[in-house]
This record gives sequence, C-alpha cells and structure tokens, in this order.
Amino acid sequence: MKSFFKKFVQYYLKILTKVALWRHRPFIVAVAGSTNKTTTKDYILKFLREKYGEKSVRGNPKSYNTEIGLPLAILYLESGESSALKWLKVLVQAKIRALFERKFPSKLVLELGVEEKGNMEYLLGVVGPNIAVVTNIEGSYTYPNSDLEQIFEEMKVLAERLPENGYLLLNADDERVRSLAKNTKAKVITYGFREEADAKAENLKTDAQGQTFDFSFQGKEESVRIKKYGRHFISAWMAAKVVKNIL
Amino acid sequence: MTKEKEINLSPIKEMELRASRIPGVVSLAQGVPSFDTPEPVKRAAVEAIERGKVAKYSLAPGTLEFREAIAQNLEKENKFFDFENEIVATAGSIEAITATLLTILEPGDEVLIPDPSYTSYQPAIRVARGMPVFVPLDEEKRWALNIEKFEKLITPRTKAFLFCNPNNPTGTIFTRNQLHALAQLAIKHNLYILSDEVYKDFVYLDEGSTFGAPKVEPSLYSLAELRGIRDRLIYIFSFSKAYAMTGWRIAFLATHQELAGKILAVHDALVTCAPVVSQFAALAALEMAEEDVAGFKEYFRKRRDLICKRLDKLNRVFSYQKPDSAYFVFPRIKEEVLRKIAGSGGSWKFALELLEKAKVAVVPGVAFGPSGENHIRMCFGRSEKDINLAFDRLEKFFEL
Repeated sequence: MKSFFKKFVQYYLKILTKVALWRHRPFIVAVAGSTNKTTTKDYILKFLREKYGEKSVRGNPKSYNTEIGLPLAILYLESGESSALKWLKVLVQAKIRALFERKFPSKLVLELGVEEKGNMEYLLGVVGPNIAVVTNIEGSYTYPNSDLEQIFEEMKVLAERLPENGYLLLNADDERVRSLAKNTKAKVITYGFREEADAKAENLKTDAQGQTFDFSFQGKEESVRIKKYGRHFISAWMAAKVVKNIL
Repeated sequence: MTKEKEINLSPIKEMELRASRIPGVVSLAQGVPSFDTPEPVKRAAVEAIERGKVAKYSLAPGTLEFREAIAQNLEKENKFFDFENEIVATAGSIEAITATLLTILEPGDEVLIPDPSYTSYQPAIRVARGMPVFVPLDEEKRWALNIEKFEKLITPRTKAFLFCNPNNPTGTIFTRNQLHALAQLAIKHNLYILSDEVYKDFVYLDEGSTFGAPKVEPSLYSLAELRGIRDRLIYIFSFSKAYAMTGWRIAFLATHQELAGKILAVHDALVTCAPVVSQFAALAALEMAEEDVAGFKEYFRKRRDLICKRLDKLNRVFSYQKPDSAYFVFPRIKEEVLRKIAGSGGSWKFALELLEKAKVAVVPGVAFGPSGENHIRMCFGRSEKDINLAFDRLEKFFEL
C-alpha cells in the first residue's frame, strides 16, 4: 500500500512538474555527481542571484534531488515525510502551483541525485537541462566498485541528452568525469587543478582563515579567497564561476 | 598493572549491572534516552540493508555521503571542516576519543579533565597509557571552568584538555569567555583540545540565562568555531543522545587534516570503519530527524522541571543546581543525611543503599572525579513514569 501510494505521489508530481516547466520554460542548470552537488549548486545559486536577482533563480531547498525530491524542488514544496496527510496537502499545493502560479523563476539550478541504473533516465524525463555540471564519480567502499561504472553510465546518459547549444561542465580532476567529453554534442568546458583544464585553479594555499588560489578562465585571472576548507569548495566555486560567465 | 593504572568497568555500567540483578529496580543511572530511534532513521537503515549497501567495509573515515552531510550540518553551526580529509566517522564518541588519545599521547603524558566529568574519560586516557589529571570545577559558580586552576596543573607532560560541553554530569554550559581562555592556554602551552559536544542539542535557554552568548544564538558556543585553533582542536559529536541511537554506536570527529590523517590510521587499526548500517542511519538522522530532536528536547525540558520539582520536595536530603542542558541533575547530598545513610562510605555507599533499599539506581558522584564526592547523578532522560516512581520510592526511603 505504502509502495502504491509512493508510486502515485511520484507519478502525480512528475506530471504536474512537467506542466509547470512547459508553462514557464525556465533555463535549467543541472548538477550531478557522487558528492559536492549541494556545495556546487549553492555557489551557482549565489553567483546567478548576484547577477540576475534573488527571485529570478530557484534551487533545490535542502538537497531534494531524487524521483520525488526533484519535482518538489522545482515546485518549491516541502516533503510530506512519513505523513500521508502531509503528502495529500503537498499534492494539492503542487496542483495549484503547477497550474496557476504566475511568477516562476527564469532559471532553475537543480541537483540530480543518481544511485542506480535508470535514475538519470527518469530525472531527465522530468527536466531537460541546458547546462549540466558533473562534479565527480567516487565511491564510498574499499573494494573495486562496479557501482561506479554504473554511475558513470548514468552520467553518460546526461551528457548525451544535452542539446547542441547546451554546455557540459566537467571536473577535470576526475578521470571518469573527464572522459564524458566524448559523449556529448554540447559544448564542453572543463574546470579543475589540472594544467589542461579550461577553467583552472593554481597556487592553492591554506591558512586558518580558509583557502586562497589563483583562478584563470578565458584569458582572465583573479585571486580568490574562500573561507572554507577542502579542495571540493574550490571545484564548486570554479564550476559556478564558469556557469555565471557563460550565462 | 599498578592500581593507579588499572582500567575498570565504568561505575555507571557497574551500577546498571547491579541494578539488573535486583528485581523491580527503577534506574536513573545510565544516560540512555527513553525514546526509540526516530522512524525515518530506522527506515533509512532498513532500506540501506535491503539495497545491499551495508554488508561491506566503507572507506575507513566513512562513506562520502555521510561525511559530506556531516560537514554541511557543521557549516550551519559555523564550524568548517573539509569532509574529504577532516572528518572521521567513528564507532561512538568514545572510540573517537580513544583513537585521538592513542594518536597524540606518549606513555605517561597527562590529560587535564574537568572534575567532575564523564566517567569514561579516565579509562580512555589510561588505555592510551596517559594519566588523567582532574581540574576541579567551581561548584559555587554553577560548576564553571576555573582557568587559573587549569593553568596551575599544566606540566611539561600535559598534552591535552578533554572535556564535554555541555558537561556531564553537571549539565553546565561553559561560556564563550571561559572557552576562549582555555583556547589561549592551549596555544600558550602547545596543547590539544578535545571538545566532546554530545549534549549540544539539549540546551534549555531559560529566561535570563544567556551563557555569555547573545540570546538569539540558537546553540551553544563551540571552540570548533574558532579558526585560530583548528590545528589543535578535535571536535567530537555522537548521534547516541540527540537521535536516541545509543545502540547504533555511531559518532564522528572533525579536526585539521594533518591530525585527522594520523587519527584515521589508529581508527583503522581499532575498528576498520564505523558500522556501515549506522552510517546510513546517521545520515538519515542528519537529513530527516531535526523535528524529532526538537521533540526530544521538549520532553527533556519537561522532565528536567519534573525532576527539579521532585528534588525540591526532598530539600532536607539534597541541594542542587538546576541544569542548563544535557539530561542530568547532580544533587549534593546533605552531610548529615550522607553520614546517616552511608557512614564513611561516601556517595558510592549512598548509591548502593539507594539501590538495595529504595530500589532506585543512581550513579555515585565520586565516579565523575573527586569533586563529585557527596553527590549523585540522576538521569532525566528516562520516562516521566520512571522519574516519578523513583522519587516516590526515595521519598518513602528518606522518611525512615
């Protein structure tokens, strides 16, 4: 019964989300990968909101990024969690928003959460991104992991589906991610610490206040300070900066 | 092994064991919340099992998803750590503490711990061949840290401060100023700080109480927010209390990557990785159990008020300070009562008398350090029914 209800909610939300997207036709930036999706999405949101204004850009609240989470993110609704009553309320709100909401952001920044075969296919049945960022393909276990190859196949689906006038942003520091470049007809931009990356960070230094690095992209250079620790923040920052520059 | 270095079962567990052998005992001893683990957490664990995600070792520091969620949650509390290199999921906070001590201590090194403080710190230090050194808290100042006493006890063998904030068993919240002074001492004497913040979610901000921080602040101040000491600070958090997950044995530590790497090697030698099913459960706890924690806190607040009300009725037996946090109250036993019931046996004998004659299990204060003598610890994490039953029995017992 629970499973049936879940399927019903999933299907219903998918249809309503497609209606909302058809009505408003927003520009969609998708962020996919094993980790670092939320940080990357948050930086993209920050940069795009600085450029286009707060109300023009919407992102996933929390990390809603699965079959049910993604529609909730697009329609900007909270999860009903384990309460059937809350879910009924969510479905009513979803219908109102999809069919009658007039103000809809012109840009969406969405995380795509993929764990198993077929997940990406489903999510791309809901949204068609104009730009996709692939952060990394990494595993959480100590043994050679066939799951990683599966996730790679899912990312290939994303790369293949991007339109010709779209962009695929790839983390140059991840070999699997880098190799996705040959699976798309979209323009490819790589970012990372590698010498051959299109958008590149170098001279990384860490101190008590965070990290500093030099960033170069399209012939422009700037020195950046991030008040956080970890290279993944720099990768996320770079991806967001590239999105801001090409939009 | 000399008597001094002997490692014994924690008095808390010993009291629980003794209690379990006496039929009908009501226990306010061990700090176990009365609640079951929140439903979304259990569901996530079941789902992870069914999807075949938990049968194999995770990476030694934990799954990437779990560590990323931890870092994102820490960020909301103004604590910044690199999830890839600075966070290690552990088998409970005691494993985090022990692995850290094994990493930083040489045999004979000293670790300063507040007195009274959590009983298991002492054996953890001894396991690492170190020596616990008690630094008395100021009872008359609501068990505040006394920085001068800390500094006086620092010797060339002192390697670290280890404390929990909020403090167990006193329920004290150490203020921002006290913690900053402690941080300055650590810098001056080149010491590590282990900050165990297992009770951070149970802070009862009553009217007029600000703990040295602005009232709008949603949580207590942590030294993990202080960037200047991140190379010597080890932040520790357990899911046991906040999410009613004591049996899942899951916690984490966060520290500067250089030290984290060294601790990771010890952690790997001890347990390989934290239980993977518990990592999935704890990930769900971070993502979905915020409301449950808030609910638990409200229950604990009510139970604190209840236990204080019941203690007020026993004011000829105990005096106490209303705890600001955690779920313990640490009443002082009035001297004449203590003598009458326990003779010269102190709080240990007193607790045994309560156990055997009133059938109420509590923890003798001396278990938490010498300054804990003449006190007992009572846990109000237990149900209201248990609290009332325990106090009905105590009232009857003290009538005699």
